Amino acid sequence: MSRLIAALVAALAFPPFIFMMSSAAQAHVVCGNRVFPTTLTMDDPGVSDEMSLPTINLTPTPTAQSNSYGYEWDKTITEDLGFGINGGYLTQRSPSQNLNGWDNITVTLKDQHPCFNRHPHEELVFSVGLVRLIPGTGSTRLRTAGVIDDVGSTSPTFYFGKGFGDLSAPYLRPFAITGELSRDFSDTPTANPSAWSYAVSLQYSMPYLQQSVQAQHIPQFLTRMTPLVEIAMTSSDAGGPPTGTISPGILYDANTWQLGAEAVIPANSATRQGQGTGFIIQYHQFLDTFYKSWFGRPIIKKNLWGS
Amino acid sequence: MTMRVLTSIFVLAALCIAPAAVGAHAFLDHADPAVGSSVPTSPSVLHLWFTQELEPAFSWATVSDRSGATVNDGAATIDPGNKSELDIKLKQLPPGTYTVKWHALSVDTHTTEGDFTFHVGKG
Repeated sequence: MSRLIAALVAALAFPPFIFMMSSAAQAHVVCGNRVFPTTLTMDDPGVSDEMSLPTINLTPTPTAQSNSYGYEWDKTITEDLGFGINGGYLTQRSPSQNLNGWDNITVTLKDQHPCFNRHPHEELVFSVGLVRLIPGTGSTRLRTAGVIDDVGSTSPTFYFGKGFGDLSAPYLRPFAITGELSRDFSDTPTANPSAWSYAVSLQYSMPYLQQSVQAQHIPQFLTRMTPLVEIAMTSSDAGGPPTGTISPGILYDANTWQLGAEAVIPANSATRQGQGTGFIIQYHQFLDTFYKSWFGRPIIKKNLWGS
Repeated sequence: MTMRVLTSIFVLAALCIAPAAVGAHAFLDHADPAVGSSVPTSPSVLHLWFTQELEPAFSWATVSDRSGATVNDGAATIDPGNKSELDIKLKQLPPGTYTVKWHALSVDTHTTEGDFTFHVGKG
């Protein structure tokens, strides 16, 4: 375990220091002046070449401490079509037993419509995707213990992002919202009911304020930050109240990477029965910095929307 | 064994990614006159500094007044000593609000664009 922690510290700490000499903010879904950063508990509204490694999620539950050390790799096939794969290593510590192992693998195919700029600063973008949780790809022990799903699901998903650069009040223009809505079709609804999942984020982009509205005389690291709150909920066909989390936090964007940290707070009493307030931190690398290789650019330089 | 594999993945990812990163999109870092600022008199040149070096043939900027008339004096040029700096000579600007529109192609072949305003005269 100590080796795992050492590796995570290295993965978190090393690249930021390497890139610290880069300046100013940027990230991934770009729509005119607007850059939609990568969010932590929900997906962003576009496709790009990027990697989240690691995403560390620390979650206390009534009987155990559950931690996950996640990975995600997103690869563009064309300029608008992307493929993603994500999963993670889970640990669960309780007085009665300790469990650890790999989570199931989830794959995503997503297509991004070209951003709308029908009037100045419209900053509207959306994507559609298909997310597949592949059962049986995780740890048998975790599956047997009920920690991970033993039933797969397929989720058509709609993603959107809207920046408010078209508002008349200058200091409101850095605001943006992103969201996603998905229907999770279970492979075996009798064993694991299907569900609706929905999420939204509200962001205030200091980079947008600095670059497009009013440059502020503040320390430069502050100009790279985006305070935000993410709300992610699930409503099961089995009935009962929805469950989910509210996650306030900060994103820090540099030229080629992003660091994010959020508290993960149960959104309601139904959620609190299963988990307490946790914490999530993510290091995110923008792979299009490898623009000269297959690794950082679309495999096919074509946009399926013809734009 | 699993721990060893996991450790290797994380460390290799961190070490491999870092030294190979060579470029990124070009975004506006800062400008003079500054974004959203007021300056008392007409500046002779507008300076734009970007986060990456630009491709000169495909990077440009224009300055226009409220009526949409262009007020830059010639095309924008890349500073020979700093390829991430775009300079635009300006005509004599009467008091008013001016809009800067820029379009940048960085060395990673990604295009970016943006705009902002500044004001000449008492603010």
